Amino acid sequence: MNRAAASHEVDGGPLIRATSDRDVLAEAAGLTVGYGGVAAIENVSFRVRRGERIALLGPNGGGKTTLLRSITGEADRISGSLRVSASWATVPQTERSRLDYPVSALDVAVMGSLASLPWWRQPGRRERAAALQALERVGMVKLAGATFGELSAGQRQRVLIARGLVQDAGLLLLDEPFTGLDASSSDRLETLIGALATEERGILIATHDLEQARRWDLVVCLNRRQIAFGPPGEVLNLAVLEATYGGAIVAIPDSGGLGILPPHHHHQS
Amino acid sequence: MLDPFQLPFVQRGLLELLILSIPAGLLGTWIVLRGLAFFSHAVGTAAFPGLVLADGLGFAAPLGAFGAAVAFSAGTAVVARRRPGDQDSLTAMVLVGCLAIGVILASDVFRSGSNVETLLFGSLLLIDGRDIALAAAAAAASLGAAVLFGRRWLAAGFDPTAAKSVGAGAPYLQIALLGLIALATTAALSVIGALLVAALFVVPSATARLWTSRMLSWQISSVVLVAVEGTAGLWLSVKTNAPPGATIATLSGAVFALAAAARAMPRPGRRTCLSAAVAAVAFLVAGCSSVASNDSGKLQVVATTTQIGDFVREVGGNAVAVDQILQPNTDPHEYEPRPSDIEGAAGAKLVFANGDDLDAWIDQVVSESGSEARIVDLGAAVPVKLPGESSGAEASRYDAHWWHDPRNAEAAVEEIRRALIEAEPSNAAEFRRNADAYLGKLRALDRGIAKCMDSVPATQRKLVTDHDAFGYFAKRYGITVVGAVIPSQTTQAQPSAKDVSDLVNLIEREGVTAVFPESSVSPKLAETIAHETGASSDHTLYGDTLGSKDSSGATYLQMEAANADAMVQGFSGGKRSCSIHGIG
Ligand SMILES: Nc1ncnc2c1ncn2[C@@H]1O[C@H](COP(=O)(O)OP(=O)(O)OP(=O)(O)O)[C@@H](O)[C@H]1O
Ligand SMILES: [Mg+2]
Repeated sequence: MNRAAASHEVDGGPLIRATSDRDVLAEAAGLTVGYGGVAAIENVSFRVRRGERIALLGPNGGGKTTLLRSITGEADRISGSLRVSASWATVPQTERSRLDYPVSALDVAVMGSLASLPWWRQPGRRERAAALQALERVGMVKLAGATFGELSAGQRQRVLIARGLVQDAGLLLLDEPFTGLDASSSDRLETLIGALATEERGILIATHDLEQARRWDLVVCLNRRQIAFGPPGEVLNLAVLEATYGGAIVAIPDSGGLGILPPHHHHQS
Repeated sequence: MLDPFQLPFVQRGLLELLILSIPAGLLGTWIVLRGLAFFSHAVGTAAFPGLVLADGLGFAAPLGAFGAAVAFSAGTAVVARRRPGDQDSLTAMVLVGCLAIGVILASDVFRSGSNVETLLFGSLLLIDGRDIALAAAAAAASLGAAVLFGRRWLAAGFDPTAAKSVGAGAPYLQIALLGLIALATTAALSVIGALLVAALFVVPSATARLWTSRMLSWQISSVVLVAVEGTAGLWLSVKTNAPPGATIATLSGAVFALAAAARAMPRPGRRTCLSAAVAAVAFLVAGCSSVASNDSGKLQVVATTTQIGDFVREVGGNAVAVDQILQPNTDPHEYEPRPSDIEGAAGAKLVFANGDDLDAWIDQVVSESGSEARIVDLGAAVPVKLPGESSGAEASRYDAHWWHDPRNAEAAVEEIRRALIEAEPSNAAEFRRNADAYLGKLRALDRGIAKCMDSVPATQRKLVTDHDAFGYFAKRYGITVVGAVIPSQTTQAQPSAKDVSDLVNLIEREGVTAVFPESSVSPKLAETIAHETGASSDHTLYGDTLGSKDSSGATYLQMEAANADAMVQGFSGGKRSCSIHGIG
């Protein structure tokens, strides 16, 4: 990958030079966001371009969801800048969607079509076909008629992804989409994410799975502030992981020597 | 079986209900889904300041109610944008503000009372063209909006996080939903009243949700259920002569309880239990459904108040069947018509009314019943009239409590005699004989009271009552009205703290020895004031209504005699009493 040198300072700092690149879907510089004026993550700078899969890493409470919410507008921007230049679709962390609604999986997928319809138009045959196609892609077409609230957590996750697909957004925000998926669904979703990336979408994925993150294009490490941003091979070193997850957690024997670098590769500024 | 639906006023109520079932059923599903039950309840109640304004400034009540409801919805939406949080607490905050404004407007700005509160009750039996038009508008708007916005409301409620990205986050969607609920609930105000709006808008939808799992089937079942429960409730209320609103509310509550219980039941037992429940309900309905039949052959007349009922019975004797609308000990300021009142009016030839706005609702009752009856305004026929209140809901030219002067009662009796003879000349002799005998007693009453009062020095005849109802009595017998606990001719006004403290000072300054509570008004305030000033509050007066059959004020003659006795005892500190002869 010959991307512009991404910065990965451990202590943050003013980072990315603004570009007028048409491929840029979202860009944050020195962004601090929070809730009710209280900062939750500080000094975040990253850039999402077409075709990039970006992992958001961090401990519980580290700010992954908050970062996604800064794009959806649910978290308040306190300082810094954020530019979002594409439509976005979001798949929230499962426990947040409503299980008591009288809707089928297909109904939920069809919701994705509303954004592109003018306010007086109702989803019709074409929108239903698109929704079914999206359900097909996530392997849920057989359960299209099932009540959403009665699906398993992993199945619901997939239906919500189908809704995002129907939305046909440039920027996909997936908040821990792998939680609750079995191995085959998980593989399938990863393949899907890869396919979506080749369709020129930008995908932000909050995850707790380091191995997965290594297979993607970029990572953002968060722990109440940005620890690092860059290609996983460069960024995921011991110091960053220590700063991200806290010292105790950094026993990473399962890494199989895959690019865990000794803590000297970063430049202190 | 279906005879109630042959009555024109019931048909109109039914039509109104069927139209309302569309907005109620459709919006009901959204109310349940989006957790707006409390909001829908509150928005009706929040119409109160609008009603007060409409009443005070003299524009149409539904307009006032709708204006206030829209302002309320907008207020809630704005507060919700500023301070996202639990919808119910926000609603409560705004509601408290609305009610406070309403109370201040009602008691301190316009001094209005009864009309306004009756608007918060409403009745299915008094539906006019305007109500039906308003309901139809609400039905059309809800249907249109449900088709246009339904998908988006669903998407926004299903996943608020993603609402904006799926094109369902626009503020107009939420505003349209709240505004429609406001429109539909104000349309329902005149039908079922603010307190029972949930019976149409929340409970049937919550019930239908128990057996549906898709939006479309839910919405259809919920509309059908509102229509069925409304129809059944209306029918039942006519059969049992209960207020329709409360009957529908009870019915919808019972159906919900049954449906929920049936769901909780294991499948095999379900059927038997359901059929048992249905049988029980049918049995209950059959048991209740005996309507009092009219005494055939007699002249049918309606009397609005208890006193007038008494007069008409005295003059009419056995030849007349009197349907008296107000019952003893109920306050005429708080009247809600029952089916029998309208049926009674429908069959009546004559309607005797008090006039002077005390029973202004009678015009509507008569016109809704489709009756051809002549309304005899007795208040217009009496010789002694005192000025009424100059402002507020009860503003009328004359004080309506004219019967407290027996000379007025005499004139009313003469007017009743004239009207009865005109309606049924064949019984003229009997009407004359009855009236003459009764007029003699009224004169004896007048003389007797005057004599009793003479036994109390004029300087001690200082009257403080619950509300300002005894002006005629005081004028007739040389009594000084010092004040009233409720400083108004209506019982519905509320005294302010300053009113109360002014009255306490006045009582002390004037050396008033007794404060007289009234039989149909809570004595609490009178007792408090009596306690504070050392005056007695032991002697109760009959003000706006006769007492029950076995009380000391069961008839007009007894009522006035009892009042005279109570006042003489109160004025004289219990040293004297008053008994009157020639009236028994
Ligand atoms: N709605 C909210 N209001 C106030 N503070 C919040 C809110 N949501 C999250 N926070 C705070 O913001 C910080 C970041 O939370 P966030 O949900 O972004 O973490 P996360 O990385 O997504 O965690 P997890 O792995 O558990 O999902 C936490 O300290 C949390 O307490
Ligand atoms: Mg999270």
